[in-house]
Amino acid sequence: MRRLLLIEDDDETAEEITGYFRDRGFDVDCSATGKEGLERASATAPDLLILDRMLPGLDGLSVLETLRRDGVQTPALVLSALSGVDDRVRGLSAGGDDYLCKPFALAELLARVEALLRRPVIGAETVLRVGSLHMDLVARSVRRGARTLDLLPREFRLLEYMMRRAGQTITRAMLFEEVWRYNFTPRSNLVDVHMGRLRRKLSVPGEPDLLANVRGIGFVLQAEP
Amino acid sequence: MIRAIGGWAVTLRAALRWTVFIAAGFATMAVVLFAFIYWQAASLERQHIDDVILRESAAIVASRPNDAAQALKDWLNADPHEVRYGGLFGPGGERLAGNLAVLPDALPEDGRPHESVFPTIEREHDPTDPEDVRAIASRLADGRLLVLGYDIDELEDVQDVIGRALALGLVLALLLSLLCGTLIAWRAQRRVASMHGAIGKVMRGALSERLPVRGSHDDLDRLAGAVNGMLRELERLVGDIRGVGDSIAHDLRTPLTRARARLERCRDEAQTVAAFQVSTDRAIASLDQALAVISAVLRIGEIEHGRRRAAFATVDLGALLRDAAELYEPLADEKNVSIRLDLQSEGHLVADRDLMLEAIGNLLDNAIKFTPAGSAVTLSLVRQHGSMLLRVADRGPGIAESERERAVQRFYRGEKSRTVPGSGLGLSLVAAVVRLHGLRLVIGGSGAGCVIEIVCPDSESAAPADPGDDCADSGLPSTTAQLNA
Repeated sequence: MRRLLLIEDDDETAEEITGYFRDRGFDVDCSATGKEGLERASATAPDLLILDRMLPGLDGLSVLETLRRDGVQTPALVLSALSGVDDRVRGLSAGGDDYLCKPFALAELLARVEALLRRPVIGAETVLRVGSLHMDLVARSVRRGARTLDLLPREFRLLEYMMRRAGQTITRAMLFEEVWRYNFTPRSNLVDVHMGRLRRKLSVPGEPDLLANVRGIGFVLQAEP
Repeated sequence: MIRAIGGWAVTLRAALRWTVFIAAGFATMAVVLFAFIYWQAASLERQHIDDVILRESAAIVASRPNDAAQALKDWLNADPHEVRYGGLFGPGGERLAGNLAVLPDALPEDGRPHESVFPTIEREHDPTDPEDVRAIASRLADGRLLVLGYDIDELEDVQDVIGRALALGLVLALLLSLLCGTLIAWRAQRRVASMHGAIGKVMRGALSERLPVRGSHDDLDRLAGAVNGMLRELERLVGDIRGVGDSIAHDLRTPLTRARARLERCRDEAQTVAAFQVSTDRAIASLDQALAVISAVLRIGEIEHGRRRAAFATVDLGALLRDAAELYEPLADEKNVSIRLDLQSEGHLVADRDLMLEAIGNLLDNAIKFTPAGSAVTLSLVRQHGSMLLRVADRGPGIAESERERAVQRFYRGEKSRTVPGSGLGLSLVAAVVRLHGLRLVIGGSGAGCVIEIVCPDSESAAPADPGDDCADSGLPSTTAQLNA
């Protein structure tokens, strides 16, 4: 069972997150202060940390910095009500592996937690395979079965990202941050229209759809069902 | 109250200083004036005396030797004011004629008038008080010496009169200056008091109050004018904030009310889990809309406070527009709109690439939203009059001239676009980004389409503006609304 440590001072938020993750098979431990969280993180060695930035006493970033200094490499996701880009950068440079602004959808948090737990995904391979999809990273070519797909550079990168995380739910914000590398959130359906194009290129009529929409959250690339 | 007394003390001190200043000025002026008058009068009188003794001396010297004593006697006799002295002395200094008992010492025999003192005179006269005279000594042809003198008591009289006048004048001048100082101080105090009153009203919240201006264009007047200008700007800003507050309240309340109503209804009416989910999904969508408004407001605030300047680097404008076009092309395609990329020039700008892309993206988003299906949105990079122009043009309804200035304000939504969804913050965000970079936003175009330009003054060396800078230009040209950084 995957074990999470949540360090969050707001009871209700902590309760919602804990409940949501327990329902999905996680073992969730909870701390309400930075000091207590720091002790538990060292003592219980969880698989992943979720910490709020603003905590009474010792704040989230200090907890993270202390842990990293002590050599604790547990993946950490920082939650914060501060949404400024600089705040985000500060969160990541303090040792956070991801940063999520409040308010957030619980499904978005889940998708990011899953992504962090499945790291590392960037290997040295030159060929990616998902079901009948075959991507040659050296020749920059993609085939579905015997059919060669004609992709634009951006579509190629989008597909590569999805193939490396096949079966995982990827949110729109994650795509925008990782594939486009833009630090802003444009209109929500912008990613959808790009994904729609990719989907139409992946599957001709009659073929099963490989890219599935996860309602309200994002997308998942599946091997042939 | 304490402040009022303090103000009074300051005014009083200022008044005293004024009074002393003015009095000293008046006194100096009076002394200088009287000294000048005295000097003028005295030299005129002396000149007159000198003329008299010169003329008479010349006449006696020129007369026949036998007539000289008689001529001297005649001159001395014709002297009702007893101011004439004279003596005729032998070559050895013995007295021959006239009312001078002895030859005065130290009088040069050069026939020119000199200042001298005659000690012994045959007339009723106080021997301890020798007469001060203008005197002249001339040698006659036969060796006799003629000495003529003229009393300068009259000169002393003039001096006395003028001295008295000076003393009297000084007293008058001082009195006058005291009066003037008090008057000026009193008037200044009255104006300061009225300004105090006006400022007090402003501080209590009456922002429409103005300081009194008399139209005299003096220092106080100009200061009051400047303060009034500041108050006008403050009043405008506070009005804007109030308007923005109302807009935020509206844009937040609408989705929140919807979410609340949906949740309430589904609690009472939902019969199945599916129906419950549909309702909650719609409620969540409404909440997301409200959250998007909050995020956008915070984001504009973040940009406006210049917190993003760490990320400034040289940005290739052509590549920027290509990226923007690529990002929005599928969206345009879905609406059957084409994006025409028109890169007539190359250019670089020191900028935050993400923010610039976001700004261009917002403009493109708007253009795609408003342009009719089947038409094109043009994205161009043009060099014009030494400036680089990033231009987004569409064939939509455009922004009316009267609305252009307000279009860049937060939450403004044009009359024609009320039915199109959006937070109404797009252009405000663009304006904030443009301001942060020290660029200029120009909204133009006619009824058949909207043209929005971001003007980069000098593409090679444009430096970001000081974050403290504000929109300075309020005098808008008739055809374009400009937002200056």
